Amino acid sequence: MPYNIAMVSDFFFPQSGGIESHIYQLSSKLIDRGHKVIIITHAYKGRTGVRYLTNGLKIYHVPFFVIYRETTFPTVFSFFPIFRNIVIREQIEIVHGHASLSSFCGEAILHARTMGLRTVFTDHSLFGFADAASILTNKLLKFTLSDVDHAICVSHTCKENTVLRASLDPLMVSVIPNAVVAENFCPLSYAPRAPGHIPASPADPRPSPTPIGPNDTITIVVISRLFYNKGTDLLIAAIPRIIALNPNIRFIIAGSGPKAIDLEQMLERNVLQDKVEMLGSVRHEEVRDVMVRGHIYLHPSLTEAFGTVIVEAASCGLYVVCTRVGGIPEVLPQHMTTFAKPEEDDLVVATSKAIAALRSNKVRTDRFHDQVKMMYSWRDVAERTERVYEGITGDIPPEEFYGYYPGQGWEASGDRVRSFALVDRLKRYYGCGVWAGKLFCLCVVIDFLIYVFLEMWFPRANIDIARSWPKKQVEGKSRPSVSSRGQR
Amino acid sequence: MTSPPSSHSSIPPPIPVDTHPNRAQPPELDRIPDPNRLAPEDAYFAPSLARARSAPLNYDDSLRSLSSDGTLRPPRGVLDSGRKEPRKLGSTGGRRRRKGAWKKLLWVKQSYPDNYTDTETFLDHLQRNPRVRPYDFWPLVSDSTVIVQHVCSVVIFVCCFVGIVQDRVSPVSIVCWGSVGTAMGWILWDNWIWKEQRELSQAANGVLGDDGSSSSSVASATNPAGNDVQSNGLKGSPIHGLGLTMAGNESKEHSPHRTNDQNGSLGASESTPGLREFTSTTGHDMDEQDMDRSSLFSSRNRQRLSTVKSAFLIYFALLGLSPILKSLTKSTASDSIWAMSCWLLFMNIFSFDYGSGEGAGATTKFPASLSTNAAVMASTVLASRLPTTTHVFSLMLFAMEVFGLFPIFRRQLRQKSWTGHAVLTLALVIIAGGAVGMTLSGGWASAIIGSVLGSMLTALTMGGCSWWLISLQKYKNVVIGPWDPARPIIRRHWN
Repeated sequence: MPYNIAMVSDFFFPQSGGIESHIYQLSSKLIDRGHKVIIITHAYKGRTGVRYLTNGLKIYHVPFFVIYRETTFPTVFSFFPIFRNIVIREQIEIVHGHASLSSFCGEAILHARTMGLRTVFTDHSLFGFADAASILTNKLLKFTLSDVDHAICVSHTCKENTVLRASLDPLMVSVIPNAVVAENFCPLSYAPRAPGHIPASPADPRPSPTPIGPNDTITIVVISRLFYNKGTDLLIAAIPRIIALNPNIRFIIAGSGPKAIDLEQMLERNVLQDKVEMLGSVRHEEVRDVMVRGHIYLHPSLTEAFGTVIVEAASCGLYVVCTRVGGIPEVLPQHMTTFAKPEEDDLVVATSKAIAALRSNKVRTDRFHDQVKMMYSWRDVAERTERVYEGITGDIPPEEFYGYYPGQGWEASGDRVRSFALVDRLKRYYGCGVWAGKLFCLCVVIDFLIYVFLEMWFPRANIDIARSWPKKQVEGKSRPSVSSRGQR
Repeated sequence: MTSPPSSHSSIPPPIPVDTHPNRAQPPELDRIPDPNRLAPEDAYFAPSLARARSAPLNYDDSLRSLSSDGTLRPPRGVLDSGRKEPRKLGSTGGRRRRKGAWKKLLWVKQSYPDNYTDTETFLDHLQRNPRVRPYDFWPLVSDSTVIVQHVCSVVIFVCCFVGIVQDRVSPVSIVCWGSVGTAMGWILWDNWIWKEQRELSQAANGVLGDDGSSSSSVASATNPAGNDVQSNGLKGSPIHGLGLTMAGNESKEHSPHRTNDQNGSLGASESTPGLREFTSTTGHDMDEQDMDRSSLFSSRNRQRLSTVKSAFLIYFALLGLSPILKSLTKSTASDSIWAMSCWLLFMNIFSFDYGSGEGAGATTKFPASLSTNAAVMASTVLASRLPTTTHVFSLMLFAMEVFGLFPIFRRQLRQKSWTGHAVLTLALVIIAGGAVGMTLSGGWASAIIGSVLGSMLTALTMGGCSWWLISLQKYKNVVIGPWDPARPIIRRHWN
């Protein structure tokens, strides 16, 4: 059953990053599945107005004041009029917000609930509970998620984190990982099979790539922004020791950031310029070309919700050495990775182990690509997200979506299907905290009044309905006309 | 009940007490306190409690404990369902387990729905309050004496000013008493330094033997002796940076801490030769200890001499400056002066460095000079309300003594002898109480009443605040889990 979905986030192209590509890939795969998807983001420099991307993906660049790192100024209500306009014009049924730091997303979820739409929120990052910034962010997240219909997290660790931060019912949080476009991350020697070729057995007798001899040079690739939380300090401490311990090792480091200077100082102090190549920052589409030059991918990050880059590296046929932090241990199977504690000594040991394993040709890195392709695909992500949409709109009955157990009765799941009645919403917000609860309630009431005002002064009847992008015929199934779906 | 540290105060350093969370800890406190209900006494008496995570209803526990808790309270809706959830989650687990165990992995296709919550592994890495160290009552109280001392000295200063303004007290008498106190303090201080140096030199001698080559090591060994002093000197020296030159000079004038100043600025030329002389003699085959001692003695005398010299220099400089200070803010209205000096004194109290001055105590947010500068500026603006140059001079001198030198002396005293520290605190409290009483209604009777009331009030406040802080500890709820950024462990090996 096709839906009209609006993805809302502060972060989208032309800015590049994990969240941006997640939104783009998910949207285009959802469009392939017959849904109508639009994206609402703020105006970037040189990108304003309405744009279309491939496949009829429509982007609204809403002019908004940007304060910090492409995050808009949180003005709770000022986004409402234009948001309502877009939603009515595009006949949106589901509003899907991304990234907890995006104030656009939070506001959109609030307004969407006021307008009686279903909402989904995807959390891409991990937050602590200790420092003042986290406390504020967590309060805001609680505000956003008090009334959301469903939340999606990219890993189980992320789910635990989000459940704690926003005090959600764990059953209302799904775990849907990120994915990679495996075709964009092929190993160098990967020969795509002929289309008609049917794999005879899992161990398809493809010629094994040239084995690594004991004296061949092994190249270790590091691609990360050089920030503290990406573990650059660990990297700086570990590189000289790894090189000292293992002969015939080279490093390729791509990425830039404040720690780049420390890294270069380390290189100069230890005279390692011929062993370590620094590439500076690379564009996302060049990442594959850098990765295929190496054998091992080293990821010393200190916190990571999912770690798409290690999946990309494995897809390129690299053996992965990474720290056991955040959601990383869930991401790749044991035979593709060596885990280290976030300690210098352990990182050195793990890397040496990985080098030894490669030298003894125990690791079949040539099979990684196919395996990763089986594990992660955006099509799969879109399917699973679609199930969430079906669950919250009631197309899958709640007892199936949240689980129905005969002994239990109905009352437990009573609040999972979130009613739109203002009183119920206020009840949910009121529980957010002694002071915050009252403040949130005030915000919700004002939002509701604004909505009533907008309905009176800018009646729905005066807003034109945008024509949908002509649909491809998907698997012989034609999409029912949008206009018949109407409004609730 | 732990006995107050005063009981073993006869031998040196019991002092730097345990308010800091990273303090060294008796081993039995090191275990993880009860994560669900944290009261300080729990941490003492509860047996080490491991979070048994095997039973499926543990999730229930954790959720309930979370919801019973202030900071992580779920919104109403979740609370409601929270009551019923465990049952159902348990049954979920039971039902699903037949199909094959759920794994906390993302790369496996599992037959569970995406929103499946595994009762056994969900939140099993969560830790609550893993590094909380509960406070003790008595160490906390004894720590708070530092604050009491400083507040009392500020109160005394304000009362003296009021007395001077109202012509009840002669400014000369105040400054005389202050100077006498300062001189006594300095003599004490000088004694300590002398003893310390002698001990150190003896220790160095013992270690050294006849090795001539290690003169450098002696020098470095003597350094720590000077170190403490020097750090104090640094505390004092930022005053130089202040635009009020008199302030800086003044601090040198009366000096319990003149040795510092020597190391710091003026006397550097003198003190360094002294030190060099000392080290060279120790380095020289260690002929006789007598000679060493005599050279030490002479260097000490030289230091004293230079201190006295600079003291006089600054004394006269201040004398010359006081007419200027008198008219400096004369044109400002009195009420703004009162308000300004109030704020400045508050700033002094709040930004004062109450630390023990050890452990490279530079971790304070404010530079120590901020506090001193604020106090000096307060006294400068107050000085303009006084009628004559003598008044101004006396007030400024007194301010230097109270805000510049007294804190250094207090810190040293606290390190040297806890009894002395306690006695000083008591004396300050009584004097401050008496001064307030006298200022408010005059007469000795009211002074006595004031000091009694003040002491009681202070004791109550100290106890009450300590108890309050301890009782607030049970609301402490630090949640730590795999989502927190890891702390990298790096062995520093620069070359």
